Amino acid sequence: MPERALDGLTIIEHNRTGAAAYAAKLMADLGAEVIKLEPPTGDPDRYLGPFPGGEPHAEKSGTFLYLNCNKQSVTLDITSDSGRQVLESLLRDADAVIHDVPPAEAERLGLGSRQLRAGKERLVTTTISPFGESGPHRDWKAYDLTTLSAGGWTWLNGWPGHPEMPPLRPFGRQSAYQAGVNAAVATMGALFARLRTGRGQHVEISAQECITAILEMTFAFWPYMNMPTARWGQRPIHPIDFFQCKDGGWIFVLCVEEHQWQRLVELMDTPEWTQWDVAANRFVRASNWDALRPFMEEWASQWTTDELYRAAQEKRIPFAPASTLAQLLDSEHLKARGFFVEVAYPEARRITQPGAPFKMSGAPWEIRTPAPALGQHNEAVLGERLGLSTAEIKSLHGAKVA
Amino acid sequence: MAGPLEGIRVADFTWVWAGPTCTMQLAHMGAEVIRMESMRRVCTLRMLPPWPDGQPGVNRSGYFNQYNQGKRSIQLDISKPDGVEIAKQIVAMSDVAVENFASNVIDRLGLGYEELRKVKPDLIMISMSGYGRGGPESGYVSYGPAQVPLSGMSQLTGYAGWQPMHVGMSYGDPNAGLHAAFAVLSALFYRERTGRGQYIDMSQQESTMAVLGEGFMEYGMNGVQPPRNGNRVAHMAPHGVFMCAGEDRWLSIACANDNEWNALCGVMNRPELAADPRFRTHADRKANEDDLEAEIMSWTLLQDPLEATERLQAGGVAASPPLVNRELAEDPHLASRDFFVEKEHPEVGVRQHAGIPWRMSDTPCDVWRAAPVMGQDNDYVYGDLLGLSNGQLEDLKARQVIY
Repeated sequence: MPERALDGLTIIEHNRTGAAAYAAKLMADLGAEVIKLEPPTGDPDRYLGPFPGGEPHAEKSGTFLYLNCNKQSVTLDITSDSGRQVLESLLRDADAVIHDVPPAEAERLGLGSRQLRAGKERLVTTTISPFGESGPHRDWKAYDLTTLSAGGWTWLNGWPGHPEMPPLRPFGRQSAYQAGVNAAVATMGALFARLRTGRGQHVEISAQECITAILEMTFAFWPYMNMPTARWGQRPIHPIDFFQCKDGGWIFVLCVEEHQWQRLVELMDTPEWTQWDVAANRFVRASNWDALRPFMEEWASQWTTDELYRAAQEKRIPFAPASTLAQLLDSEHLKARGFFVEVAYPEARRITQPGAPFKMSGAPWEIRTPAPALGQHNEAVLGERLGLSTAEIKSLHGAKVA
Repeated sequence: MAGPLEGIRVADFTWVWAGPTCTMQLAHMGAEVIRMESMRRVCTLRMLPPWPDGQPGVNRSGYFNQYNQGKRSIQLDISKPDGVEIAKQIVAMSDVAVENFASNVIDRLGLGYEELRKVKPDLIMISMSGYGRGGPESGYVSYGPAQVPLSGMSQLTGYAGWQPMHVGMSYGDPNAGLHAAFAVLSALFYRERTGRGQYIDMSQQESTMAVLGEGFMEYGMNGVQPPRNGNRVAHMAPHGVFMCAGEDRWLSIACANDNEWNALCGVMNRPELAADPRFRTHADRKANEDDLEAEIMSWTLLQDPLEATERLQAGGVAASPPLVNRELAEDPHLASRDFFVEKEHPEVGVRQHAGIPWRMSDTPCDVWRAAPVMGQDNDYVYGDLLGLSNGQLEDLKARQVIY
């Protein structure tokens, strides 16, 4: 009986943007065997950083290391005939292939779904691209920032009241993470269907659509009310705001439900302004927030961040601190849950990093091996798995195919 | 061939945004998702705008209707003992149960995993609380907007020298919803091969931190909190959102290498910038990024962002305006891909909703129906599935178990 949820699955991954790597990471961490095909120069994320001391090094990029634990690395020039033969051999025994090469280039490289699936009825092909595989913008160029803009996210983020400040990206390559998790969802759907049908299929993911699908209520303001949204989303209720506390930290003040506001009023000792008509309910407070905000700012500044967080939560008001990374790594709660994992990277020391995004009672999530060195598994995969002789592997290397 | 989860049934105890995002993915794949909800404690989203004509109503919210497409709804008050019993009957004929109450609330209701597995031994159940089960903060209350600061994302996001920022939406919610859908699918795959169900404990705080890997890696390597730096990143320059002609109009542009920078100079008709020693290499452009952005903005200030995007893309430069909801709704590309879903809804008519960001060739995914009005499937579930008589139904309604 398989121990982990995805034991026995073999995934071939080829990554450009982080999206394919994250999709495959989610599956690798649940037990799938993931073989990364890297060009001889390596996955571009190897050059992205962050690096220890800021010194670039192909085996020390933080982004690459985080996204590629539990995987095997094989270097392969898929544009050569012999490289292509190796790819075909790998695909014949694989359950799914996941890549994020843009459609036109994928076709040129022989990575289009028809090219990959030819003669392989059971193979699932999952391709991720900025705009999908059809439509007038199919071949538009995109990076995370422009994909987030095309999806509608950057417009929502920025500083209300400062129209001179630009729409703003969130931290990290979030379009890649979202395309990646959507790709993992859809790939699992296709693999689940295959248990019944015996057939693989093609799955395509548009990163733009992954973002447009999660714009909270802001998209709906157009079809429902003909209202364009403003930056920092459409905050129809209040309070939702940050305030600085006396220790210099920041508290996020939030009341979604009216009963939470009532308990906040109690916590504040029922100051007069909370009884004014302009504070009467969550919608009215939103309309009058500029006038009300200074009162709450003054009140919050009398607390430390942690005191205010605990005091609000004692009354079941959903405040939260704006946590720093150090505070999270030091959190008693996260320690008690065993969230962070420490991974020993041969070239880049031990690092404490985010662990399981969910805990499965019957099938563990785990980091079994650190991210691979470039081509670390060439011999294991080409020799032991595909049965190539040492001489044949050497000849691939000599021809710079692997 | 129908969707990949055809024949799978989901007992949906979710509310607000995170949980419904999870179960909507399952509905997209053809699972039958049965929302259990009641007028006693109406889902927060049903009470939030936008509403047509600005008129509130539990069936009128665009926020609710966006994230509950393709689901069924029954009225059931699970705070009453008879409601709990009916919920268990529904779970007994389901494959998956999903809930996102604060931690342990589902146990107090008598619908925790240990209770539910008695009626459905191979059940897959996922709890998606803000803080997860166990640990000193597990009883804390959490809503999506607070997950952004709590997870560390706010301290990492913002303009250089400014305070921590939100990210413009309750990102922890949909991110948790997608990760939860992946967990459920993986557990279904496992069950299909082993016959075993399981319980999945998700903390939204933790699933949000899982997508901040670069930040934690930088801290782990160099012991520093990455400073907020607006739209700039270390590996590309220019990489920004630039002011355009008109009111509050902007254009995002990113160049990853010298070729793309040279192409940008060509589109701007500023060939001398490509040769300018301040901007020749990536290192030069990073060292002179203020000047670089000023030069680009002197051009964008005269441009319409949509027209400029067309010209930049034709020249091989990654660019897009930050699209606002109206531009998304009217985007010819999204329209050509049939991304938006427009289904008749009994109370709001036909409205445009964001659809499914993936396409499957063999088991197509689909939104078969608009989001349900409260209790729209009472007859189907209580009558067809559970086989209750009219008399029993009337009695349950009279006692406000069905409410």
